[in-house]
Amino acid sequence: MAGLDDVFGDLFSNVDAAALFSPSGSYYERFVEVDEVDVIVVGTENDVSAETFVELPLEFDNISDRIRFGLEGALNQDIIEDGDTLACATSVFSDDIDTVSRVRADADSHTGIYDLFARSRADPEVIKSVLELAIELGQKGQKGKPVGALFIVGDAGKVMNKSRPLSYNPFEKSHVHVGDPIVNVMLKEFSRLDGAFVISDAGKIVSAYRYLEPSAEGVDIPKGLGARHMAGGAITRDTNAIAIVLSESDGLVRAFKAGELILEVDPEAY
Amino acid sequence: MVDWQTLIDEPAVIATAVLILGVVVGYLVGRLNEELLTASGVPEAVEGTPFERTAQSLGTSTVEIVARLSAWFIYGIAVLTAIHIAQLLDTDAFWLRVTEFIPQVFVAVLVVIVGFVVADKMELAVSEYLRGVKLPEVSLLPKLVKYSVLYVALIIALGQIGVHVLALMILLTVYAAGLVLVGAYAFQDFLVSSAAGIYLLLNQPYGIGDRVRIGEQVGIVQEVDLFVTKIEDDSEEYIVPNRKVFEDGIVRIRE
Repeated sequence: MAGLDDVFGDLFSNVDAAALFSPSGSYYERFVEVDEVDVIVVGTENDVSAETFVELPLEFDNISDRIRFGLEGALNQDIIEDGDTLACATSVFSDDIDTVSRVRADADSHTGIYDLFARSRADPEVIKSVLELAIELGQKGQKGKPVGALFIVGDAGKVMNKSRPLSYNPFEKSHVHVGDPIVNVMLKEFSRLDGAFVISDAGKIVSAYRYLEPSAEGVDIPKGLGARHMAGGAITRDTNAIAIVLSESDGLVRAFKAGELILEVDPEAY
Repeated sequence: MVDWQTLIDEPAVIATAVLILGVVVGYLVGRLNEELLTASGVPEAVEGTPFERTAQSLGTSTVEIVARLSAWFIYGIAVLTAIHIAQLLDTDAFWLRVTEFIPQVFVAVLVVIVGFVVADKMELAVSEYLRGVKLPEVSLLPKLVKYSVLYVALIIALGQIGVHVLALMILLTVYAAGLVLVGAYAFQDFLVSSAAGIYLLLNQPYGIGDRVRIGEQVGIVQEVDLFVTKIEDDSEEYIVPNRKVFEDGIVRIRE
């Protein structure tokens, strides 16, 4: 009699490592006692004090995004190698781990999604806050109406030199940082202004109302996106900044780095 | 019957009444204190401190000890009053000394208990704060903080019960002065830089995106914080202490 173990066993037989996505403490403990495989913990925080840990910038709702990000992070940190097979255990329907998928790490399908956070000029924390802010803005909009917004994060000095003010800068001589409690409300109010927000490496909001003037040569962004995306994408090619754009028309949040579209998330899915 | 009448007026009877009253009031005050301390969240505040753990292992708790202390304080007063009324010890001088002394002992014991708890709490807080710094020597610092607090508590307690603490006070002063001197010397640059940084942040003579020259370095300002200014040219990023900004002055470059 073949039990379920034999059938489902294919999923996790001969894997090089097991990746646990946000496991609970006791769940992780049980895995550590298994000698056969290396255990990699992936999550927004290292709650279980695991030795090998890959940090997620967001609690990705989309499973494939979550796993892809985790694998790319692990590849980048040289925890796993190209071609390794992993059993990724994650939660889909409940808060506990309820799903295992067998994934082969592939360095060629590199999207740069991990680099966006870990290898950018700006602090990962700052990028994470701005992304969360854009997502929140996308969910709620401004007074119920959809809004668009453009955040340029990092390398603020150069960005400021490649842009000009559209009007007086409301953040002049202020010391507001993203992640401060009141900032979300403030940025939400200011999001109806035209132009871009410029944010420094450490998260200081340098300016709003900026008109970006990058050269748009060689920028390869999907056709159909508007001037806001083009401006955001182009400035990331000219400087070491990244751009996080909330589209007014389709409501998606996109991130650009080095002139390329790296990440696309739907705020409604969070 | 006359004997009964006089018996009621006997000091011994009044003394017994006082004693009973004292026991009742003491017990009530003890219970009240316990309730009050529990309600104001003291058990959570002291949780995890070695003092509390020691108390736990002795089958009691910090709150209970403090509550008992207040109860025993009142018992003590009752007993002494009873003794006084019964005129067992007929020495006014002794009485005077004792009434002065008892509250002092009470305060002293209280100070020691609070000192222990605060010291443990401080040690925990400091070690928690320093947990990010992975240096073995750093583990000395929480201990230092703990014993400093204990030392101060001990001096206060000893001072309360009238022990001469002048020598200990001098030691404390020397220690504190040394700490301040070493601190001021070690953090001199930081203090100067942060003073300059406060000016820079408030007045913003230059902002992010400006092209400036500070001393030798020329570049675009990328970041200004309390201690340093980061300026960057095409290939190099300079992290300039704000102290230098004031010493060398700032040149804003306009094309």
